[in-house]
Amino acid sequence: MAVHAPLPLLTPEYALSGNRFDELLTPEGALRPQWEPIMGALAQLGREGLAERAADVGRLLRESGVTYNVYSDPQGAERSWPLDPVPMVLESKEWAVIETGLIQRAELLNLILKDLYGPRELIRKGLLPLELIYGYPGFLRPCVGSLPEVPNPLALYAADLVRRPDGHFVVLGDRTQAPSGAGYALENRVILSRVFPSLYRDAQAHRLTRFFQTLRQSLIGLPSPATGPDAPRVVLLSPGPLNETWFEHVYLAGYLGYTLVQGQDLVVSEGRVWLRSLNGPEPVDVILRRVDDSFCDPLELRQDSRLGVAGLLEVARQGRVAIVNPLGSGVLECPALSAYLPAIARHLLGQDLILSTVETWWCGDPLQREYVLSRLEQLVIRDLEPGRSATLFGDTLSRSEREALKDRIHANPRGFVAQERLELSTLPALGPAGDLEPRRGWLRTYLCAREGDYVVMPGGLSRVAGSRGAAWVSNQAGGVSKDTWVLASEAEPSLGLVGAMPMVGGLGTPVSLSGRVAENLFWMGRYAERAEGTLRLIQVVLTRRRLVRESGAIGTRDATLRTLLRALTHLTATYPGFVLAGAETALADPAPELLELILNRERIGSLGFTLQALLRAGHELRDRISGDSWRVISGLQERSNALGQWRPHDPEHLARNLDELITHLLAMSGLAQESTPRHLNWVFLDAGRRLERGLLLTSLLRATLVRPCAPEDEPPLLEAVLNYAENTAADPQALRPEALLDSLLVDERNPRSLGFQLAALECHGAAMPRTERDERLTPAERLILEARTELRRLQLRELTQPDAQGGHRQALDQCLARQQHLLGSASQALSRSYFDFTRSQHLLVSNLPVPGI
Amino acid sequence: MKYRIRHVTHYHYPGPVSLCHNELHLAPRDTAVQSLQSLEIQVSPLPGYQAERLDFFGNRVHCFSIRQSHRELEITAGSQVILQPSGAEPRGLQAWETVCDRLLQENTSETLDARQYVLPSPQVPLLSELHDYAARSLLPGRPLREAVEELMGRIFQDFEYRPGFTSVSTELSMVMRHRCGVCQDFAHLALGCLRSHGLAARYVSGYLETLPPPGQKKLEGADASHAWFSVYIPGEGWLDLDPTNNLIPMDRHITLAWGRDYTDVTPVKGVLFGGGDSHALEVRVDVVREG
Repeated sequence: MAVHAPLPLLTPEYALSGNRFDELLTPEGALRPQWEPIMGALAQLGREGLAERAADVGRLLRESGVTYNVYSDPQGAERSWPLDPVPMVLESKEWAVIETGLIQRAELLNLILKDLYGPRELIRKGLLPLELIYGYPGFLRPCVGSLPEVPNPLALYAADLVRRPDGHFVVLGDRTQAPSGAGYALENRVILSRVFPSLYRDAQAHRLTRFFQTLRQSLIGLPSPATGPDAPRVVLLSPGPLNETWFEHVYLAGYLGYTLVQGQDLVVSEGRVWLRSLNGPEPVDVILRRVDDSFCDPLELRQDSRLGVAGLLEVARQGRVAIVNPLGSGVLECPALSAYLPAIARHLLGQDLILSTVETWWCGDPLQREYVLSRLEQLVIRDLEPGRSATLFGDTLSRSEREALKDRIHANPRGFVAQERLELSTLPALGPAGDLEPRRGWLRTYLCAREGDYVVMPGGLSRVAGSRGAAWVSNQAGGVSKDTWVLASEAEPSLGLVGAMPMVGGLGTPVSLSGRVAENLFWMGRYAERAEGTLRLIQVVLTRRRLVRESGAIGTRDATLRTLLRALTHLTATYPGFVLAGAETALADPAPELLELILNRERIGSLGFTLQALLRAGHELRDRISGDSWRVISGLQERSNALGQWRPHDPEHLARNLDELITHLLAMSGLAQESTPRHLNWVFLDAGRRLERGLLLTSLLRATLVRPCAPEDEPPLLEAVLNYAENTAADPQALRPEALLDSLLVDERNPRSLGFQLAALECHGAAMPRTERDERLTPAERLILEARTELRRLQLRELTQPDAQGGHRQALDQCLARQQHLLGSASQALSRSYFDFTRSQHLLVSNLPVPGI
Repeated sequence: MKYRIRHVTHYHYPGPVSLCHNELHLAPRDTAVQSLQSLEIQVSPLPGYQAERLDFFGNRVHCFSIRQSHRELEITAGSQVILQPSGAEPRGLQAWETVCDRLLQENTSETLDARQYVLPSPQVPLLSELHDYAARSLLPGRPLREAVEELMGRIFQDFEYRPGFTSVSTELSMVMRHRCGVCQDFAHLALGCLRSHGLAARYVSGYLETLPPPGQKKLEGADASHAWFSVYIPGEGWLDLDPTNNLIPMDRHITLAWGRDYTDVTPVKGVLFGGGDSHALEVRVDVVREG
């Protein structure tokens, strides 16, 4: 036996394998040939070079915001997508066999699907037990007879492959209703090809582009009602930002050029599916869905679903919308099916399975059950009820746990399935020590139907365990993904850059705007402005506090500081704060309350709360946000998280963080202003910003200019207000209220003035769609017009005169209050006209109570 | 026996409904003893979309949607059926265990179809308390019909008919605990009892003709929806039993639809947009004997 020199980069004991197949090394410790070029290049890079590339991968992932959500994470927070810098490599000969096997399996599954939702001959002939199918929750009776009339109703199919110690791949499971991960596979490729450009080019790995082109063509080619000369309208239906793979939905929709929608954006009417756009309903022909079967239609499927579209199944039944994959496809994901596949393949195809399937026993069959119960410790047990599909490894159970499991199987045998315990193969992955260590992994492959045939994605999504010792892979336990390179036997022509087109183009693209998206845009504008305004006033307060301290005065006595603190409570509506009960204590030592207002995310109105709300809106609008803007939002997220780590005693310690935050917020508004075309998207975003700016300003002016003020205290107060508005005065001491109001209220040339906001809002109102056909002014426009007219008529000299009694400026207060009221009403009017139709149209499922006799 | 049936369902909403989708199980089935002569389903306001199909269980389903804004919705199902009891309903003299065995062994399409009704269903879980309750009737070797009739009698005796105590979503364990309910609860109860012992039993939705007290005129709208159950006997067919009234349906029970339980054959269900928080519902059923 030849002795092989240890390879560079590998962890010293890499080759000491147990009973496993290693993708990189032969049992003798030799490098498998397909790995030679890659390992050669990596060895040249060395440990430092590899570490650098790994850091590049991390940076690119963060910058493009590649994330996934973990349901079980109590924080519910997004996590950065983990990607190993070393790809999984497969050679073309072996891949050809896999490909043939996958296509055979896809075709077989299609035949089974068509049979189960059609004549159900397989049950009649005893090839599938009736109790297995009829008792499986994924078999949806309303879907019988609703499959489209195409050769391959499964337009998309994914299979999880595992390599056995003997080197053969087996299929561990099938994903048929809404296969996930293809978008991550694409993103992995985009990133790896950027990090290793020459290695990727020289290795001649098959490109993924063609697969997605085929997918696009297939979806467009699906039979759906003709809508005239236009190409069929395809949408990607997502459960929303809380879904595990929300990023992928955004990414794929952008890459494929489809509108990303949620259930509430669609409606069924007149026997068709429509996209509820603010410009009126637009017909939808094809739905690429990432919502599970039973959640797609609350009328005929799960009544409690808020993710679907009522009446969708009936439209599909009539062939007036194509759904990919068709509703009901989830029945093929039943793990017990594997036990019957070999016989069905022989019956339906007259062939044996090319790719073997994981050995499976269904406990509903007495003989199989007996087998399972007799060797529980060697098997993997799964519960068939979705949502309880926890996988139990027999050998990890204690004796009593095993007995309890036996009891559960006896009580409900049909609900359990057992599979052979597979030893996963190992792949080289970058370990914590900076070298490559063997980790267990598997591969998810993707197929797409094309004219009665299938195309296999040459690659896929490989995943390895989060640590060297782990025997299994899961996201929860820190699994890491890998790009998958299938080496071409000869160079293939370049098809343009993979990933050159992600994201439809940001906020400016004139794609359809639904009420939900418009509402999110509007609130994103409002929260962004509110965060900026809050931050700005906090900084004004801190500056004054510093000034007073430096001058040796006692802060608590400084009238200006006190007024500004009170203004902060008013502006953020965080009562009692510095205004109501306990105000004197808070004013005497403002630090604790100030810290609360900055850091406490739970407190409505605090900076932390507002930033979270802003980030949430941004997350939901992921598909509308361009790369640059997303980098700013990511940065904001990082700063906001960093802020959350702090527990300082004095807000002064946060000064630098606050500066950074305001820079990010300004970058955000700058991008919105400078890089966004003035389409309807922008109109709603900017309307939110203008409205909020007007509200904050009136609130601040009421809190600062109305109460009586000693003559010597007025200039610093006016200067502070001016600073808040980013304006400066030539001579602060000469500043008079009348001049300030002229600049901040009336002057429409000052982008910080109320007049400017109202003028902008008037334009936005005119650009918004009319809800009633012959409406000349919408309710919101009416209110804005009223506010603007009243503002122009103001007599500033009179308004700034303090009242003879008490010295308040009551007239000013009334007029500012009136402006606030009009702005608030305008916001509500916008909601009613454009957003409410999403919210108020809640689903109400009504069942007839049976009076009974 | 010829019947004319009129079933009116009237919803009144506090706010305007901008769109609704509905599904109806309101068409009487043709059975061995029942034939549908005519059927007319009217919806007001007029639906913009309507369609008809057969569901998984062979029932006729009507569905419609209305896009026009409305505050009231009225669905009227009018039909004429002829009931001709054959007098040859299953005698069920086989031991109930034999019935269970034959269900699993025989491969006729009728038996295969019946086997789905052995499985639990959304509203009929196979609770051990149901198994135990039924065991007292399903004595070893007892003829099926005798056992099931006795079970029906016990449900009739042990459970109080109390409208309003349960709703369409009340769980069977609640019914068991409080020993009361309405017709659909009793039907579900019987289904759970029989299925937990391996028998095939299905839910039947329909109407029962009520007779006015002697000497009085029958009131309009006095009838109601009704529900009972049916048990399968291989080689003989399905035997209907009405546990609410403790009788074998003969010529006063009109069958609308059957399924695994109520959720499969809900007479009227829908999803609506808008309409406010609550709605008023009025149901009037008339079952009139003709000639």
